[in-house]
Amino acid sequence: MSFHPLMEYGAGHHQSARVLPEEGPAFQFTAANLAKLEEICTRYPAERRKSAIIAALYLAQGQQGYITLSAMRAVAAAIRCSTAEVEDIVYFYTMFYTRPMGKHIVMVCRTLSCALAGAERVTETLSKELGLRPGETDANREFSLLEVECLGACDRAPVVGVNDDWHECQQPEAAKALIDGLRAAGAGSLTGCHLKVAGE
Amino acid sequence: METVTLTIDGKPVTVEKGKSVLEAVIQSGGHVPYYCYHPGLGVDGSCRVCIVKIEKMPKLQTSCSTPCGEGMVVTTNSPEVEAARASVFEFLLVNHPLDCPVCDKGGECPLQDFSYSYGPERSRMAFERRTFDGEGVKADIDFGPTLMLNRNRCILCTRCVRFMKEVDGDAQIGITNRGVHSEISTFEEKGVVSLLSGNLMDVCPVGALTTRDYRFKSRPWDNPNAVDTICTLCEKGCNTTAWIKAKPEWAKGTQLIRTTPRLNEDINSYWMCDIGRFDYHWIEGDRRINQAHMNGNVTSWEDALVSVKDAVDAVGGATHAQFLVSGHASLEELFIIKQFAGNTGGVTFSWRHRVKPQPADTKFKIPAVDAPNLHGAKDLGFNTATSGVANISALQSAVDAGMVKLLYVLDPGPDGTLGDVEWVIAARKAGKIKTLIVQAVLHSALTAAADILLPGCAFVEKDATYTNMTGHVQGAARVITAPGEAVEDWQILSKLSVVFGVNVTYSSSAAVRVAIAQALGANPAYAGLATMTFSRPMSAKSWLQASNPSERWKWDFMFQDLPPIKFGDDFGPTPRANVIPMKEVK
Repeated sequence: MSFHPLMEYGAGHHQSARVLPEEGPAFQFTAANLAKLEEICTRYPAERRKSAIIAALYLAQGQQGYITLSAMRAVAAAIRCSTAEVEDIVYFYTMFYTRPMGKHIVMVCRTLSCALAGAERVTETLSKELGLRPGETDANREFSLLEVECLGACDRAPVVGVNDDWHECQQPEAAKALIDGLRAAGAGSLTGCHLKVAGE
Repeated sequence: METVTLTIDGKPVTVEKGKSVLEAVIQSGGHVPYYCYHPGLGVDGSCRVCIVKIEKMPKLQTSCSTPCGEGMVVTTNSPEVEAARASVFEFLLVNHPLDCPVCDKGGECPLQDFSYSYGPERSRMAFERRTFDGEGVKADIDFGPTLMLNRNRCILCTRCVRFMKEVDGDAQIGITNRGVHSEISTFEEKGVVSLLSGNLMDVCPVGALTTRDYRFKSRPWDNPNAVDTICTLCEKGCNTTAWIKAKPEWAKGTQLIRTTPRLNEDINSYWMCDIGRFDYHWIEGDRRINQAHMNGNVTSWEDALVSVKDAVDAVGGATHAQFLVSGHASLEELFIIKQFAGNTGGVTFSWRHRVKPQPADTKFKIPAVDAPNLHGAKDLGFNTATSGVANISALQSAVDAGMVKLLYVLDPGPDGTLGDVEWVIAARKAGKIKTLIVQAVLHSALTAAADILLPGCAFVEKDATYTNMTGHVQGAARVITAPGEAVEDWQILSKLSVVFGVNVTYSSSAAVRVAIAQALGANPAYAGLATMTFSRPMSAKSWLQASNPSERWKWDFMFQDLPPIKFGDDFGPTPRANVIPMKEVK
């Protein structure tokens, strides 16, 4: 939208070192997701359509597994905000992923209560079981292991979340059983949950 | 106006209801530092340095985000506040590189100033600083066509984010990641592409955002003199400050070093557009017309003016002469033309109309008409539209019909602001116009085709007045001396008036303004014209106080105990007006 040509000074010599999210395949909301987004938008005043941005990002992430530049553009268009605002939100919240993740995202809380109750041991066990360091995803995209901040169940520390299910009072042995169960029966094995997070 | 009264440092202060405590402190002349607060932007409360003690509130409060309440008791300088504020400064400097000697903001940097005033004397941080994009100059990265960004220097005040969101209307800047990893970013690192991008340099309280235009060209102490003037590149008439680089006579380079906006609530608020900010290089560029020319050869003023008379006589008198006047002509010039317009073939106005690409909901709309004085022309009684596209079809068809033997073009604006002139050049070449006289500032295809070329002054080289699109009559001051033998345009016209059948002689441009004020006495907008004063280069006795352009209003409030900023002529060369070295044309 500029009127003037690029000013000569240092043009092109200095580039940002920020790692950009990948462009990804062309992204388009499915008709079902778009309808759902419109329904969510009706919960906010029309001039506050931006309020639905997190819901829109969840829908995009649910559809593709992670959020790409292409998805951010689609969200910006759907929400009618700028792409920079979308990126701002994506990078602020840790539950938005900008790279492909495993089918089961195993999150270990490392905030105070869980840390005191031995969350580090749980992470070590999971790490050994899955053969992943925290932050990594395995080659066939089955598991991702993440260390996260407070999951909001401090009274039942340590807490391990798998996707939308919370597993509380996890000791290293229980964590091993959790992985075994996931490997054997997939998401169907997730029964130890005390608190089910209603997924959008 | 509903007001509230509160006590600040023991003094009762009455302010408008809804004002923040910080605004009350500033209004009362108190001293509280701030970064994220900007009077032209929304409140953020992210920098934390404006914290004050308010009685009955358990913790220190950020004064920028606390509205004034009746009976509030505010303390801005107790030991508790000072200690807490010093800690905030210590945190702000944890990762901020101390490269002030090579930083473009050095010397006019609020972070520098306030850290000296309020911060701890030394840092206790022993570990390495967090860096983005690399150390030192490697961290200077492209940030759109006009800006460079250095994220290491950023203190995340989010003024730029809010400027783009609230004023520009296209939120191109965001903050990615969080905590210590937070960085100012644009989508895909494309940088800011906006016609208001230069303002980001102004609002940035540190050296994170700098303009490519001004980078490394000058330091605040190199340009201690500034002149309050206006921008005349479109019909908006933004109030600006022109900064003059102090340098010895023999030094190369330009004097005019940058232009920054000046607060005027009615016209431009705190902002200006990039066109006005960056399009000044032509003024001291190589293409300026320094001397009068005749048929492409340099000549003296005396010969040039005599030849104008001869040319007018040759075509059979002034009635065969037509005027083509740029919308850049000031009130003074137009007033003189108006007086002999009756004796001539007519006066036609022309200007450039270009729609500026801007977001739909921008708060700072740049007009499409690149002419500063159309409103003034109309007020003076010329038959011209005050906006839209110039209508020159009548003149064009008259030229086509060979009715215009002599065309006098007055074009004191930069390249292209006269609109389309190709037809004039073609008509002169085809001989449809017998004589083409051009009074202009820049060499161009039009001036090359001119038989007689008279060098005029750019808007920063003459005291001239303009009426903007909303009817504000404002003065553009003489900031620098015109190059070569170029003289103020009203003088040229005044000297030539006898040629066109009236003898108008004025001793100065001020005398012209007095005459205009008399003529337009019925119009209250012109009441002050007779006594209008123009700013001259003013010394910032202490450049520290005067040099931060976006915060000028603040210094005016906060440092009233220091010598005033605007005064005196005890410094630097005062720009002078060139005079045509000859007697009247007889």
